[in-house]
Amino acid sequence: MADGAPRALHIDDPIIRLDNLSKRFGSLVVFENLSMDIARGKTTTILGPSGTGKSVLIKHIVGLLAPDDGSVWVEDVNMVTAPERVKLQVRTKFGMLFQHGALFDSLTAGENVEFPMKYHRRSWSAAKRREVAMEKLRLVELESFYDAPTASLSGGQRKRVGLARAIALEPEVVLFDEPNSGLDPLTSATIDDLIRRMQRQLGITFIIISHDIVQAMHISDYIGMLFGGTLLEYAAVDDFLHTRHRTVRAFLQRNVDLPEMDDSELIDP
Amino acid sequence: MSAITRFLARVGAFGLFVAAFARATVTHRPPVERTFEEAYRIGVQSLPILIIVNIFVGTNLAVQGNNAFEQLGGQSMVGTFVALAGVREMAPIMVASMVAAKAGTEMASQIAVMRIQEQIDALEVMAINPLWFLVTPRLLGILLVLPGLTMISVALMLASAWFVAIVQLGLNGSDFLAQCAEITHGADLVYGAIKAFVFAIIICLVSCFFGYTSPKGPAGVGRATNAAVVVSAVVCAILNYLMSELLYG
Repeated sequence: MADGAPRALHIDDPIIRLDNLSKRFGSLVVFENLSMDIARGKTTTILGPSGTGKSVLIKHIVGLLAPDDGSVWVEDVNMVTAPERVKLQVRTKFGMLFQHGALFDSLTAGENVEFPMKYHRRSWSAAKRREVAMEKLRLVELESFYDAPTASLSGGQRKRVGLARAIALEPEVVLFDEPNSGLDPLTSATIDDLIRRMQRQLGITFIIISHDIVQAMHISDYIGMLFGGTLLEYAAVDDFLHTRHRTVRAFLQRNVDLPEMDDSELIDP
Repeated sequence: MSAITRFLARVGAFGLFVAAFARATVTHRPPVERTFEEAYRIGVQSLPILIIVNIFVGTNLAVQGNNAFEQLGGQSMVGTFVALAGVREMAPIMVASMVAAKAGTEMASQIAVMRIQEQIDALEVMAINPLWFLVTPRLLGILLVLPGLTMISVALMLASAWFVAIVQLGLNGSDFLAQCAEITHGADLVYGAIKAFVFAIIICLVSCFFGYTSPKGPAGVGRATNAAVVVSAVVCAILNYLMSELLYG
């Protein structure tokens, strides 16, 4: 698995399939022949230390970046070769929570949530848009912040409004880029609970990029670890804890109690 | 990478940006409401500074024209000089420079901040073409107002020059206006509008390009904003000369 080519985890009917994906920035190899399937209707977390290309990977999934080699399949559409028109259609199936929310500061919290509806639900009246935005804000427990200027929101609130916007069009997949970065432990826990609750309520596919092991354990069905340009380990949560990869164990050890393992059983990348 | 290679790479990137923008604009319906918002914002925000600057450009044209022609005993030429310099050259380029400094820097910095705060990525994920959303209304808005701002500037320059000619220089106001009317024609105003139209395209596309391709971080926003105003002003100045040669040469 260390060479990145084979899929360690078999997933029936994946919603997203990455095939031998390679990306370089100049001489820097971000990932090489990376392959993985993302399970439909489940939460998959991609772990890894900072600078391992997690955010680059998520941008490939949604088509914001193109790989040097390989393909990204979203159901039956290859996002690498699809015409722009088709890519735009596929993107309507996605919602994304950006690292810092990526809210439009000139709008209120509610207007931010309404924003995608204005362009993709043109037949909806202003009242209908407001009603749906309010419903999404209620899901993230911020309905009383509808008219709040974005600039007045705290970091955690911005992320929750960003999450409400991400689910505004009822997407099939929601991507999270470091949902807990820059948040205090209490707010992080609130966000984790929110993600878990929303996944249960909505049953949609969540893909989370994080370096927060504890969060990954709490909210994921599957965890993958990206390191040195390859997917070192990718498994269901319980199996992930039994990893034989020395590097993965080292990454987990500080925050998680791992089952004892003889040194001879461990493998190196 | 050498400076020439970097320059050529940047020019190439600008070409690709313009092509992508053109494709986005023709494949989407025009953002009418946002176009008028931009037109209002650019027009209204630029107006106070344009009024002040153009009034004093007009006064200086009259004073310097008088200084030059007084020595030759040709003070009757002051109106001709002001009209030629003001209507044909100074008004269009002054408006372009002021709008580049005011609205152009605002476009560049706003878009650069949106870039570093991932708001442009957010637009793409929401399947909203960012070039259509950010650049199209700004271009249509500036195209709507820049010719008008140029005409206002022409009027202000001539009026302030006329006022100084009478009050400060003691010239005959009627003669001054007659000289202006004799040397300028309707075509001059049309040419001024054509120049404004071209400058509007340059200011908007250059400013949006530098904002859109801004390097990360606050320093990147500063560099993008600075480059936007410098490149816009230089390109407008060069084009002003070339267009004057073409239209009046």
